[in-house]
This record gives sequence, structure tokens and C-alpha cells, in this order.
Amino acid sequence: MSIAALRRSSRRSSTWRKVASAAVWLVIAFNLAVFLWVFVNSLRSHAEIFANPWGLPRTLHTENWMNAWVTSGFGAAIGNSVLVCITAAVGIVVISAPAGYILAKTNRRLSEVALMYIAVGVGVPTQVIVIPLFTIVQRLGLLNSLFGLVVVYVALNLPFTIFLLAGFFRSMPDELEEAAALDGAGSLRTFAQIVAPMARSGMTTALILNLVWLWAEVFLALILIQSTSKQTLPLALLNFMAQQQYGGNDYGQLLAGIGIILLPVLAAYIWLGRRIIEGMTVGAGK
Amino acid sequence: MTAPVADPLTRPGGSGASRPGRRADGGATSPLQRRRAKMFWPFLLPALVLYTAFMVGPTLASFWISLHSWDGITPMTWRGLTNFHLLLADPVFHTALLNTLVILFGVGAAVFALSFALTMLLRDMAGRRFARAVIFFPSIVSPLVLAIFWGFLFQQRGLLDSLLTGLGMADRPNFLGDHLWLIVCLGMVWMSTGLYVTIIMAGVDQIPPYLYEECELAGATAWQRFRYVTFPLTWDVIATTTVLWTVSSLKIFDFILAFGGTTNDLPPTSTWNTALFIYGNTFGGRVPLYQFGYASAAAVVTLVTIIVLVVLLRRLTRREAVQL
Repeated sequence: MSIAALRRSSRRSSTWRKVASAAVWLVIAFNLAVFLWVFVNSLRSHAEIFANPWGLPRTLHTENWMNAWVTSGFGAAIGNSVLVCITAAVGIVVISAPAGYILAKTNRRLSEVALMYIAVGVGVPTQVIVIPLFTIVQRLGLLNSLFGLVVVYVALNLPFTIFLLAGFFRSMPDELEEAAALDGAGSLRTFAQIVAPMARSGMTTALILNLVWLWAEVFLALILIQSTSKQTLPLALLNFMAQQQYGGNDYGQLLAGIGIILLPVLAAYIWLGRRIIEGMTVGAGK
Repeated sequence: MTAPVADPLTRPGGSGASRPGRRADGGATSPLQRRRAKMFWPFLLPALVLYTAFMVGPTLASFWISLHSWDGITPMTWRGLTNFHLLLADPVFHTALLNTLVILFGVGAAVFALSFALTMLLRDMAGRRFARAVIFFPSIVSPLVLAIFWGFLFQQRGLLDSLLTGLGMADRPNFLGDHLWLIVCLGMVWMSTGLYVTIIMAGVDQIPPYLYEECELAGATAWQRFRYVTFPLTWDVIATTTVLWTVSSLKIFDFILAFGGTTNDLPPTSTWNTALFIYGNTFGGRVPLYQFGYASAAAVVTLVTIIVLVVLLRRLTRREAVQL
């Protein structure tokens, strides 16, 4: 290729690159604008938003946030959600870690079969099991109870978490454990004091992932929780939407409500963003 | 939404077959192996019991219930395959199944094309970490919130509508009224792309940069670079991600539900997928129908569809990974 041609092609590729990066920045700008728009308009009155959704607030209607907080019952719902999500996520990791470890570290035919058996569960969508699940929870007397919701959350998120953690445990060396075994430490103690700390990063990833999913979970909560006092945050949001529709739409207030829900997620994302992203992509690149 | 999972099973070191010495039915050789063998059941049992009771049991029960007529309270009555015959004749179910497949293939194709395009564009861009973080963000926001915004964007006198008015367009389409399903699909593309961009990006990052430098020297076009370097070298990632998409696309529920507006109101049946169909025939709506048998039949059809698709996909994508 002649020098001129090479130069021409590099010039072409640089124009192409400019167009391309403009396209990417457009996508990014859209995503940023979405959240900016929600926050800006949460400070405008309903009439203003309806008259011109593109406008800026003339006076700051901060009362939207107050009103949203009071009418939505988000306060109690956040409490329920925090309780349910943290208990369930910790429960999932505590039960999955030993299972993932033992399946990763024993080379028996049985451990392969068991891992396969558990892996199948990753592909079962909630809607397929929701009817028998409702009946079981009802028979156990756990309908409309946060504890019942936690139990179901734990059970249903085990397959993925066991799978994820088995991958982590498999890549861990045996030496320290052998040393502990020679020192006469019991199996449970070895696991709790030697193995689990070594797998801390994997377990933290599992914990964060489960928290992110459970925080937004709707389907099961919708079916298993019936009273307003026990609703989780997504249910409160659905009810809040209903109130807005029947009590006359107030977009300002609705957007403030969305803002209340978004802020903690945004804060967590800024704080743990890289960890969340890497956790959710883990395994795919291998 | 789940992250990719095919890892531990496919890793060759994990199967006993490659290490014949340690295999013989629990007859472990080292003291460590013997201890582990002893802990096998105590460590595994809690997980196994919960998983079996709340997931495997209910899955099997769905098959059983689908052969009955049941409202959840009075005793079940045997119905044989009647529920399945009814499903076959139910236009709402046809739409729901078709929509599920449209999400799986149509929305899926869009998500993958867009994700690849964004990945390639982001590959050597300044500020790619920031860009990735922003593109990813919708993946962790509640789909309900995203759906509410998406509604605002397209509703009459909403963002797009008033923009078009401002531009002097008199004959504006009624997006939510006439094209609701299309809007919902676009929303799902927006909602899902971020996760797949980051997954594919993680795969592309494994490709050694010198290959791209050689492309540059050989004067390859962007398409050729994609076709002969990126695509073959990320094949494994693509294979895992298509399974991931298959599984998670069938789970989509709340984004569509939110277009009904409330806890009581369901979105129009034209936007239902099988998840909405099952919910709509059991617990959903102002007057829940509690048709457990009928809805279970839909669940069985959904499950069989997934199994067939995943098996087919794995067949189709099975190929030797390119060794570097």
C-alpha cells in the first residue's frame, strides 16, 4: 500500500472514529439526561410539567419530595426492603458458600451430578413455579410475612450463587487448608477461619449481586405480600402509582417518589460501581 | 437479571475425568480429601433441601397442576390435557407466546447488535470507564422506575410529543395508544443493553491489542476487524451470553407490568408475555381469576420452550474456541 493510501485510510478512520464516538456520547447523554430530567422535574409542579416537560423549575417545589415521602409510605417500605434484602442476601451467601466449596473441591461423580442438578435451577423463571410456591408458602402459614418472603428469596437465589461461588473456590489453592488439617483444626473451623476469608472477594460479589436483584424484585413480593404495612419498596412504588392515578395525577410528586427510590441506588452505584459491574460480568469473559 | 453462569461446569479441571487418580467413589487419597468427603453432606444439604423444596418441587408440581382444574382452595379435579387444548385456542396466549419469542429473538438481536457496536466504539475511546458506568446504570435500576420514565417519554404531551409539537409537527403519532408493544420492546432494549455491553467488553478486552494493530497495518475496515478478529475471538462469550439472554428474557415481568400503571391494573393483553399471562390468569388484576390449572399449563409450555431453546442454542454455538 502506498503511503498516500495509508494516509488516506487513516484519515478516513479518524473521521469514522469521530462520528462513532459522537454516537456513543449521544447514548451516554441520553442516559444522563433521563436521570437529570427526573430530578429537575421532581422540583416542578404538575401544571408546569404538563405545560412544558422540557422546562426548568421557576420556583423549587421541594414540597413534592415531602409529599411523596408522606403519601407513598416509602419510609416503612424502605425499612421492610432493607430488612428483607439484607437478611436474604446474607442467608443466600451463608448457605451457598459451604455448598459451592464442597462441590468445587470434591472430585466425586456425585459432586458433578449435584452441581448439574443445581445449575438447572438458574434457568427456571419465577412464573413457572409461582403457583405451587404460593401454595407451599400458604400451607406453611408464611403468606404475607416478611420471613416467608426471605425464605423464598433465599431458596430461589441459591442456584446462581452456588454456581458463582463454586467457580471462586475452585481457583483457590489447597495448601493452607492442608496445613490447618495437619494442625488438627476441625473441618467447620477450617472452613470458617481459613477458606471463607480467602474467598472473601467472591462472597462480597455474591452478596452485592443478590442485594441488587432483591432490591428490585417485584413478582414474588407482589404475590406473597398482601398488606400495605409489609410491602417492600417496589410494591410501595406500584401502590404509589395507583394513588397518583386515582387521586389525580401529580407528576411532580410521582417524580419526587422516583427520586427517593433512585437516590440510594445512585449512591450505592457511585460507591460500589466497579464492583457491581465486575460482579455482574464475572465468568463471561473466561 | 442474572449474570453468566456457564463457568464452573465447563472448566475442564473441575470434572473428575481429567484426574483419574482421585476419582474412585469418594475413596480420597489425601487427608484433606478425606475430610472433605466427610463434610460433603453437611455442607451441601441445607442448600439442596431448600432448592429442592422451593424450586425443583414446584417445577414438577406445575406439570401435575397443569393437568387439573384448580382455584387453589377447593380440591383439584382431573382435566387431562384440556388445559393445553384451551391454551392452543386462546388468542391471548398466542399473543403472549409470540411476544415472548419477539422479546427473545427481536429484542435480543437488537440488544446484541447494539452492544457489539457500542463495545467496538468504546474500545479505544477516552473516558471509556465513565462511558461504561453510565451505559450500565439502567441495569441496576428497578425496571418499574425505568418503565415510568419510558411512559413519560412517549405519552401524549410527554417529552417526545411536545418536542415534535415544538418542531411544528401537526400529525403526531399516538405512541402509547397505537404502538405500545413497539415502545415496550424499545424500552427493553434500552434497559438490557448496558449489561451486555459490559459482558462483551470484558471479552473483547481479552483480545491482544497487537491483532488490531496488524489489522490497522493491513488496512482492514472496521467491519473486517469485527468479522475476522473480534467476533471469532469472543465466540465463547457470545455463546454464554445468548444462553443468559434466553433465560433472562423469559423472566422479564415488571417492566411490562408497569405499563398497566398500578398494582391492580394489568397492561393491555397485546403486551403480555408468558409471565404476564400467568400472572393475569392467577393473582393479577382487580378481580383475580385464580385459574391455577390453566396458568400452570402456560407455565409448562414456557418451561418446555426454554429447554428446547437452550439445548438448541448450545448445539448451535458449540464450536472450538480459537486458541491464541
